[in-house]
Amino acid sequence: MKSLSIRNLSKTYFDPYAGKHVTAVQAVSLDVPEGEFVCVVGPSGCGKTTILNMIAGFIPLSGGEIVVDGRSVSGPGPDRGVVFQSHALFPWKTVLENVAFGPKMRGVPLADREAIAREYLALAGLAHAADRYPNELSGGMQQRVGVARALANQPAVLLMDEPFASVDAQTRMTLQEELTRIWQERRPTIIFITHDVPEAVFLANRVVVLSKGRVLKEIDIDLPRPRVWDALIEDERFKTLSAQVLQLVRSA
Amino acid sequence: MTAPAVTGASPRPSAALKRLTGAVTFLLPLVVLVIVWEAAVRITQVHPGVFPGVGAVMKAGAESIRDGSLWMHVGASMGRVMLGTVLAILVGVPLGVLMGVSPAVSTFLTPLFRFFSVLAGIAWIPIATLWFGYGFGAIIFVIFNAVFFVVAYNTLLGVSGIPITLRNAAASLGAGPWTMLREVLLPGALPNIVTGIRTGLGFAWRGLIAAEMIATNVGLGYMLFLARDFYRTELIVFGMVVIGILWLLIDRLILAPLERRTIERWGLVRS
Repeated sequence: MKSLSIRNLSKTYFDPYAGKHVTAVQAVSLDVPEGEFVCVVGPSGCGKTTILNMIAGFIPLSGGEIVVDGRSVSGPGPDRGVVFQSHALFPWKTVLENVAFGPKMRGVPLADREAIAREYLALAGLAHAADRYPNELSGGMQQRVGVARALANQPAVLLMDEPFASVDAQTRMTLQEELTRIWQERRPTIIFITHDVPEAVFLANRVVVLSKGRVLKEIDIDLPRPRVWDALIEDERFKTLSAQVLQLVRSA
Repeated sequence: MTAPAVTGASPRPSAALKRLTGAVTFLLPLVVLVIVWEAAVRITQVHPGVFPGVGAVMKAGAESIRDGSLWMHVGASMGRVMLGTVLAILVGVPLGVLMGVSPAVSTFLTPLFRFFSVLAGIAWIPIATLWFGYGFGAIIFVIFNAVFFVVAYNTLLGVSGIPITLRNAAASLGAGPWTMLREVLLPGALPNIVTGIRTGLGFAWRGLIAAEMIATNVGLGYMLFLARDFYRTELIVFGMVVIGILWLLIDRLILAPLERRTIERWGLVRS
């Protein structure tokens, strides 16, 4: 896993309803060293999803530069894995085929890529679901497959766009705990977008608070790992950090 | 009940029973039609040259099977439908995909394709015979036309209906243009493509019979037309029955199950 560096990123687009150009992202710079887990939080419309879409290469930049692993990037590529809010699994492929998709694109032979896929499915606790189709899975399982699929391609950075926003509260907590476990095992570089403050504080090494297209503040999260909700929910440090981030988000 | 015999061959008795009931409810009205037909012919004492009874039609049918003429006509018609359809799919699907990946192109072409979808089939026969003369070429053109526009239009709908996140996901996993086509666009559009083929073949079948009446000397349409020249009403009616039954078989045994299966597996994403 390698590092990501964003320099002076900006995005303006024409809003046909307002009838004028709107600035969604303004001179955002962010360095994410190898193996770090960064959460970007902010209210709706703060530009967080726009930033992620630019890093992923889904939309063009208006200005600035994105450097992954020392190289300037534009357009989507396998060095930046993405986990989507709507799972975005291929419905005509089994779970195993979905996870093996990235290695297949790299030309890995069938047996090898299935072995890779099984390894990452096991990591996500889904070994038993390999032969099922996405529409046979619950929302939580679909997101696990999405994480396994992105990781199986061994990207330099993993981009996660509110991946747990549409699952129920209990499942979300389980998924968050699993993600921190996977991160500790594999140490992928992660940029995680969310509007959920406790989620951001629970997951991250560092929380970046975004406001009106700018970075408002960066807060280091020095909570010990492994992190589990049962322990953290009563933890004073967790409460203090959450309150601090929440205040920033609300003032944003 | 004959149900137990059927369930013995199937792993799920309820499904087999359901299929049997489905077949019975589908066939029953047809059986009633045959009975009413025969009764009407007997009661009204209509001249066989105007409308023959069931027996005369079956006799004509048996005769055409014995002398091989039925197989010749059926074979010619089926061959043409298959060739025209395969050609139409080979051209229509790639064109539909091409249009589907560009919103601007699809917006521009959609009205045109809807227009030509309506025209598909019979309406092209006069101009087809002008361009290709009377014969094979004109008939293939009519079938091609019937299938092509519907398949291309449905492919376009299918491709442009694939959620953008699926294409983004594939791109961020390393898919290039060709793998995107093979792994995402074609499978994603498949339910629509199959629906297009089914609709197009319906047009093609009608167009085929009409074209064969005008532009050839073999095939089911020609068989009807020829029988008319000899006042063989019972052969005409037999031919009509064959045309109807063949289509029902193609549609219910091949196209409908194919459509159902692709949509069932893929369908849940389409919402």
